[in-house]
Amino acid sequence: MIIETKNTHTPLLLRNPKQSTEHRAVFLTHFSSTISISLSFNYLRIDSGPHISESRNVPIWNAPVKRNSEENLHSLMSEGTMAIVKPEMKSYIWVQTADGSIQQVEEEVAMFCPMICREVLQTGMGSSKNYAISLPQRVNPAVLGLILDYCRFHQLPGRSNKERKTFDEKFVRLDTKKLCELTSAADSLQLRPLVDLTSRALARMIEGKTPEEIRETFNLPDDLTEEEKLEPLRNITDDPRIRLLNRLYARKRKELKERERLKNVEVEEECVDERSVDELLSFINGGNGGVWTIFERATKNKKKPEEKRSTKDSSSNNENGSHDKNDMVDIVATPNKTSILQDSTSVAFSPKLEFDDSVFEDELDPAMKEELDRRFCHWAKIEDLYQSLCNGNGSLKRYTGLDQRQ
Amino acid sequence: MAYSFPEEVLEHVFSFIQLDNDRNAVSLVCKSWYEIERWCRRRIFVGNCYAVSPRIMIRRFPEVRYVELKGKPHFADYNLVPEGWGGYVHPWIVAMARAYPLLEEIRLKRMVVTDETLELISSSFSNFKILVLSSCEGFTTDGLAAIAANCRNLRELDLQECEVDDLSGHWLSHFPDTCTSLVSLNIACLVSEVSFSALERLVARCPNLRSLRLNRAVPLERLPNLLRRAPQLIELGTGAYSADLRSDVLSSLTEAFSGCKVLKGLSGFWDVVPTYIPAVYSICSGITSLNLSYANIQSPDLAKLVSQCHNLQRLWVLDYIEDSGLGALAASCKDLHELRVFPSDPYVPEPNVSLTEQGLVSVSEGCPKLESVLYFCRRMSNDALITIARNCRNLTRFRLCILEPHTADYLTREPLDAGFGAIVEHCKGLRRLSVSGLLTDRVFEYIGTHAKKLEMLSIAFAGDSDLGLHHVLSGCESLKKLEIRDCPFGDKALLDNAAKLQTMRSLWMSSCLVTYGACKLLGQKMPRLNVEVIDERGSPDSRPENCPVEKLYIYRSIAGPRLDMPGFVWTMDANMLH
Repeated sequence: MIIETKNTHTPLLLRNPKQSTEHRAVFLTHFSSTISISLSFNYLRIDSGPHISESRNVPIWNAPVKRNSEENLHSLMSEGTMAIVKPEMKSYIWVQTADGSIQQVEEEVAMFCPMICREVLQTGMGSSKNYAISLPQRVNPAVLGLILDYCRFHQLPGRSNKERKTFDEKFVRLDTKKLCELTSAADSLQLRPLVDLTSRALARMIEGKTPEEIRETFNLPDDLTEEEKLEPLRNITDDPRIRLLNRLYARKRKELKERERLKNVEVEEECVDERSVDELLSFINGGNGGVWTIFERATKNKKKPEEKRSTKDSSSNNENGSHDKNDMVDIVATPNKTSILQDSTSVAFSPKLEFDDSVFEDELDPAMKEELDRRFCHWAKIEDLYQSLCNGNGSLKRYTGLDQRQ
Repeated sequence: MAYSFPEEVLEHVFSFIQLDNDRNAVSLVCKSWYEIERWCRRRIFVGNCYAVSPRIMIRRFPEVRYVELKGKPHFADYNLVPEGWGGYVHPWIVAMARAYPLLEEIRLKRMVVTDETLELISSSFSNFKILVLSSCEGFTTDGLAAIAANCRNLRELDLQECEVDDLSGHWLSHFPDTCTSLVSLNIACLVSEVSFSALERLVARCPNLRSLRLNRAVPLERLPNLLRRAPQLIELGTGAYSADLRSDVLSSLTEAFSGCKVLKGLSGFWDVVPTYIPAVYSICSGITSLNLSYANIQSPDLAKLVSQCHNLQRLWVLDYIEDSGLGALAASCKDLHELRVFPSDPYVPEPNVSLTEQGLVSVSEGCPKLESVLYFCRRMSNDALITIARNCRNLTRFRLCILEPHTADYLTREPLDAGFGAIVEHCKGLRRLSVSGLLTDRVFEYIGTHAKKLEMLSIAFAGDSDLGLHHVLSGCESLKKLEIRDCPFGDKALLDNAAKLQTMRSLWMSSCLVTYGACKLLGQKMPRLNVEVIDERGSPDSRPENCPVEKLYIYRSIAGPRLDMPGFVWTMDANMLH
């Protein structure tokens, strides 16, 4: 409907019956969601600037409430009821797409888009070529055509649900690129029903596919690293535990540096430890673990589970024993049948991981906190041992060498 | 596409994608999709609570509203997992209490839940709606009282087969008078009597109540009153279905049942007095789900009952139904999707009822929509299995449990390899399989060759050598869970297929031939696998390395070795520390 004609008053009879005001009147009276908008639109137009045309003063909502049919129209015309309605040109709304091209759209079709509707109401734009409404950037001429097809179909109130559904199903049979553009454009025009329709269609294209297939369908980059795909144990930058450790180490480093600086002032004999870092560590750690393993064993099993005996009333259960009926024993018989009977006296443990001291510093859960403490204490122990080895005059180079091994 | 597709629009597209598999696929497409998806993910399913930590989950998915967790391995149901093994949910709840204040739904299976946990749930989530505890343990009715009292918007409280320390039935009275939001209440596993008047008042003031499953302690005489107050019920679990024989009870019951026009599911039926069975006849035609697995109804009454349920889709029943009852089922219930037949007395060596493979064969002939089967019986033949396979090509779950291990085909005395082979060959969509009877490595060859969609496999007392296990691990592409007991599978197949284990959720092996040395090796080689040795005989270090371990549980994890193990569980890792 891209017709660049001037607004002229044309006698009713010469107009294309299909574009009659009666048609529009029916639209206005029946399309409840836009009725108030249209009504207010009319009032607004009456009051505002030079682009108003006289025909707006017509109380067209008083027009006969009839379905869109030519017979009705002709009968109305012959009855002269159309005399109530002033001869009226087909109304268009002017829109401009991002590429600069301007076109006319039938008013009822355009007003189906909330964004356009709002623009018309709030700014009064769209009545002429010079005042064309600028459409959002995501709406190019091709996809605008599709959207208008959608609007043109659905703005007609006479359509049955079945008709609408059939139309919709056919409408979304587009290639991926077009579908994406359409979704995006519909969203920018706030055309909710179309956004839902296209989104669902896109979702159906995604369901059941592997990531690779999805990438192919939508032409997307494969930019996740293998690490990210696997959600690694140690995400160095992300792990707050690691970050905290690093912060603590950094603090320790600073302290030692400070101490070092102060010591150097006092010109003392430097103790040079010729041993390599590895040797030192293995010394500190001992043959099969040393400090580290001793410390590990000390902290593990610190929290013993509480025993709680539950009074199991096995006699009141059905004679078949207290089986779990949802997932029955697949093979009941075992080489030693008596072992099953022994199983019936069960002790319910309710071990609690003690979280009484759960002051969640640095947002670590207690299990992590425990491990963190363990590591830090380990580090402190290494450092202490190291200090004692070198009479407190440990070389800074050794320190940083050690640090780099972390 | 990415060039002008705003995030909100993509998020809107994702809102129509709900299946876990699809969401996982979406998150792996590219960086931007990963980011968008993680912020709009509302539903999380963690199939193994030790595969990931709460911290990792919360870090990745900040806006979760529905969480489902599973704890102990499936074989815990058969008492193969010692008490105290683990599966504690408390750390999860603690973490989620801080991170997900808007959490609405928690579903747990085979986890240890304490009263403290329940109290924390009830006080941390203002919009908490649904609590489903399936095969859980560790809590008392005090914890339930906290849930009842504090969860203002509670819709569902479902205790399925839980082990609850039932201190008293008083907890039910903790539902405040203002509670009107209940949709589903399942207390079938509780022992104590609840206050009947409190129950009646609760039922009466919850107009949206759709599912009510009572415990055994609710007597039959109380049922009509409850039903009259809740005619909108879709699912009902009766209490004890017995009372002194009085005609007024029967008529009252009949009338009450007939008032439940939309009832679709029935369960309960403890201690059935057959005279009262006809009370439900009026609603049988609407019934789609019937759980009679606690009902001691005998065959003729059972047959009569099921044959009235023309729209039956799911039947759980004891073997009292016998072959004749199953024949009646096959003739009447053409819509049947799922059948479970449980043994009434599995311990007696001789059959106490006349239930054989014939029952299942007739159901397979009469019910073309059959998808899910769990069948306990004492004899089977290859012919029967082949017939069943040909009749029911839509089977997705097939679990056959021949009670006595190593039972051969009773007609030919041969192993049942061919029969199960036919099952996996004809039922291309099979996702779950349990095998039993006399089986050689050959059956595993068939399974590895044909069962490409198989996700869960349970094996007991089967196979000849490592080759069997090798066939399964190398052939079953979709395998997620494998549980094995008492089979001669050892180190070789396991170590050869170590990489496969990282594509699966878990592997359980008990009373097999896997050695301690192999476990250690596996633990050292595979950084993202937790290899747990369960041995109640004491530390495996006290025995030679080539000594088989008692039980072995291997699962993939990104959370590292767990820290809450009891004294009889050892994690094999690089440091080989306890």
